[in-house]
Amino acid sequence: MTLLSIRGLDKSFAGARALAGAALEVRAGEVHALMGENGAGKSTLIKVLAGVVKPDAGVIEMAGIPVAIATPADALNLGLRFIHQELSVVPHLSVAENIFLGRDYPRRWGLMIDWDGLNNAAAEVLSGLGVDHIRPGRKMARLTVGDQMLVKIAAAFGDAGRTAARLYVMDEPTAALSAEESRRLFAVIRRLRAEGAGIIYVSHRLDEVMELADRLTVLRDGATVATREVAGLDKREVIELMIGRSLAEGYPPRLAAIAEDVALKVEHLSTGMLDDVSFEVRKGEILGFAGLEGAGQSEAIRAIAGADGGHDGTVSLAGKPVKIHEPVSAWAKGLAFLPRERQQEGLVASASIAGNVSLPHLDDLLRFGLVLDRRAEAEQAVELGRKVKLKASGPRQKVRELSGGNQQKVVFARAIAGDPQVLLLDEPTRGVDVGARYDIHTLLRQLTAEGKAVVLASSDLPELVYMADRIVVFRGGKVAATVATAGLDQATLAALCFGSA
Amino acid sequence: MLSALKTYGTLIGFLLVVAFFAIEIPDTFMTAKNWLNISQQVSMLAVVAFTMTIVMAMGDFDLSVGSMASLAGIVAALAFRDGQAVWMGVMLALVVGLLGGLLNGALIAYVGILPFVATLGTLTVYSGLAFLVSGGKTIFGRDIPQVFSGFARAGLPLSGTVSLPALTILAALVLAAVWFTLEQTAFGRRLYAIGGNKEAARLAGIRVKRLRFLAFGLSGLGAATAGLMYASRVASANPTQGSGLMLDAIAAVFLGMTMSEEGEPHVLATLVGVMILGVLGNGLTQMSIDSYVREVLIGTIIVLAVASSSLGKARG
Repeated sequence: MTLLSIRGLDKSFAGARALAGAALEVRAGEVHALMGENGAGKSTLIKVLAGVVKPDAGVIEMAGIPVAIATPADALNLGLRFIHQELSVVPHLSVAENIFLGRDYPRRWGLMIDWDGLNNAAAEVLSGLGVDHIRPGRKMARLTVGDQMLVKIAAAFGDAGRTAARLYVMDEPTAALSAEESRRLFAVIRRLRAEGAGIIYVSHRLDEVMELADRLTVLRDGATVATREVAGLDKREVIELMIGRSLAEGYPPRLAAIAEDVALKVEHLSTGMLDDVSFEVRKGEILGFAGLEGAGQSEAIRAIAGADGGHDGTVSLAGKPVKIHEPVSAWAKGLAFLPRERQQEGLVASASIAGNVSLPHLDDLLRFGLVLDRRAEAEQAVELGRKVKLKASGPRQKVRELSGGNQQKVVFARAIAGDPQVLLLDEPTRGVDVGARYDIHTLLRQLTAEGKAVVLASSDLPELVYMADRIVVFRGGKVAATVATAGLDQATLAALCFGSA
Repeated sequence: MLSALKTYGTLIGFLLVVAFFAIEIPDTFMTAKNWLNISQQVSMLAVVAFTMTIVMAMGDFDLSVGSMASLAGIVAALAFRDGQAVWMGVMLALVVGLLGGLLNGALIAYVGILPFVATLGTLTVYSGLAFLVSGGKTIFGRDIPQVFSGFARAGLPLSGTVSLPALTILAALVLAAVWFTLEQTAFGRRLYAIGGNKEAARLAGIRVKRLRFLAFGLSGLGAATAGLMYASRVASANPTQGSGLMLDAIAAVFLGMTMSEEGEPHVLATLVGVMILGVLGNGLTQMSIDSYVREVLIGTIIVLAVASSSLGKARG
C-alpha cells in the first residue's frame, strides 16, 4: 500500500532551485532511503513534509488523499514524525517525562502527578519498541546519545494524544551514534516497519542504507533520478546515481602552472579529531580535501587556522615552522581562513560590507596608528568587491541585506584583503547560487595564477575533481589517500571517501 | 510610519517630555539655569552610562558599576582622612575602579563566567568591601578636603548669573573620549564586531578575550569616576551612595539602543537616554511629584521604547 506519494515538487530560494519536480513514493511497512549529495534537495524535501518550507508547486498525498502541510502541526496531525540528528530533549527531566512531554501526565486525586503511573506507561511504550535497557525514571542527561534517540522515537511513537504515527522521517539519525547504539536503533526501526509504519531514512552512510533499506530514491539537483529496490543493487551503482551529473557543468580552466615552492607544509598534525595528518600545498596549487561529513577535512583546516586552539605537529609556511594557536596569528602570518558556516562563523550581519571586509585588517587602516581611516576602508571594500564580482549598492550596505552568494563574496573579499599567501577554504560554495559559484571558481583560478596556495575542503565531488590539482581524502580523522585529479573520476573519488574502493 | 517610529520614537518621546514640562512649568523649566542644573544632576549617571555603552557594544553588561562607584568614593575619602593629598586619593580610587573592572573582565573573558553572573557577584563583593573599609559609616565634614568638594561647586562662568558646572564639563570630556574610542578607533570597531557575532569576530582574527577584559576595565574606571564626582558633589562618601546608578545607566543605554536600526548601543544615543531620565527627574521634582512616580514612569517609558522598536523591527 502506498503511504506517501509526492509528485512534481518545486521550490526555489532567492532564485536558486532547491527542488525541481522531485518525486517520492513510500509504502507502508518499508524503510525507504533518501539519497543524494549535499544540496541535492533532501533536506528541502524533508522540510516541506515537516511543514517548515512551503513548496512552489507539487502534490503530496497520504494514503491516496491529497493533503496540504502548511504548518508543523499539520504534519503531526497527518501522522508524520521527525527524528533529527540534533535531538530536542529536555536533559534534566526524566525519560518518562520526555516521552510524555506536552501531554497530560497521569494524576492521582486529579491533582498530584502519579509518578509510578507515568513511569509504568513510559516503560510500556519503550518495551513496545523492544527497548528494555532504559529505566523510565532516569534523567535524560545521563543517557547516551543513542539512548536519547530511542527515547525520542518512543515519544513520537507513543504519541497517542494526536494522530497515530504512520510515517517516520529520520535525518542522519546515526551521525552521532556508536556501532552498538546504531544496532539498537536499527532493531527499533525494523520493529516500526513490522508494525506497518513507513520510514524515510536519510543517511550518508551507504553501508547502513544497504543493510536497512528496502528501496531507495536518489535526488540530484532537486529532481528524482531513480527509485530502486535495494536488493541486488551494489554500492557503486548508488554512488554513480548520486553524482552522475553531466560533466559539462562549467568550471573555469586553469590559468597558469603550479610553482615548485611549497607554500604550506603540514606534518603529523594531530588533535582530538585528527590523527597524524600530513600534506603540502605548493604556490599556485589548489589542494582539495574530500571525505564524508566529519571525517577530518574541516577539522584539519580549523586546526591550521588556529580556530580550535592548540594541536600537535608542525605547520610550516614557505619553509618556516610557525605556531598558530589562535585565528589572529593565522591572519598575521598570511593565512586567510574562510569558515564553513557563513552566518554563524563568517559574517557580522549587523555590520556593513566594508566593516566585514576590514575586520582582520583594521591595523592596516589606521591614521596616526589610532584613528580608523573610513575612506580607505570603503575604498578597500569597493576595490575587492570588484575583484570578487560583488553585487551591492555600496560599501556601507549592510551584509544582512545581501543574497547568500554575495555574502560569501564578502567573506572572500575579507580573505584576500591582506594579500595572504595561503587560503584555507571550508566549503566555500555551499549554499551559493550557480552564478556566484562560477564567480568564486574563477576567483580561485585567478588567485592561484597570482601564486597563492589554496586548500579547498568541499563535499561537492565534481567541484573537487574539476577545481583541485590534488585531493587529500580523509577518513576517520586520518589521511586515507592523496590522489592527483588528472584522470580521476568522481565515482573513484566517492568510493575513496566511503572507503569501499 | 512604523520605521520612523522605530528610529525616532525615543527622540520624539524625549521632545514630548520636554514640551510637557515646558508647558507645565512655564517659569523655570526652559531656562538656561535649569538646563545647566539638569546637566549637572545627570553628570554622574552620564559617565557611568557612557562607559557602560562600551561593554554593551560587545553585548555584555556590567551590574557592578553602582557598588564600584560607592567603593571608589569611600576609598578616596579614607585616603583623605588618612592625610593623603587630594590627587593621591583620586588616583587610588581610579586605580581601584580600573582593577575592579579588570577583575570583572578576567572572570568573564578568561574564566568564562556569564557577565550577568560575574558582575552580580562582584556587585555584592564591592558593596561589601565599601561597608567593610568604611565601617559602614558616612565619611564627611573635615575629613573631606575643600579642594575636593570644591570641584563640584566650580564652573566656567557663562554670564553674570549662570556658569557651566565642572561636573558637566567632566561628563562631556568622558562623552568625547568614549565617542572617539567607540566610533573612531579600531578598538571600538572590534567591540561592535564582537557584539554582532563573537565567533565570526574571533575567527576573523579579533582577540575577543583580551578586548572583553579591557572593556570591562574601562567600565570600572567610569564607575569610579562617577563615584568620585558623587563624593565631591555631596562632600561626603557613604557605602551606598552609588547604588542607584547601575539600573539607570543600563536603562539609558537601552533607551539609546532603540534609536539604532541594528539595536547597537552608541554613546550619543546613550546621551539621549540619559537626558530623558534626567529631564524626567528634574521636571517631576519641580512639580513636587513623588519620586516613586518617577520610577513608575521611567520603567514604563523603557518598556514602551523597547516595545515600539522591536515591533518596528518585527514588521520592518
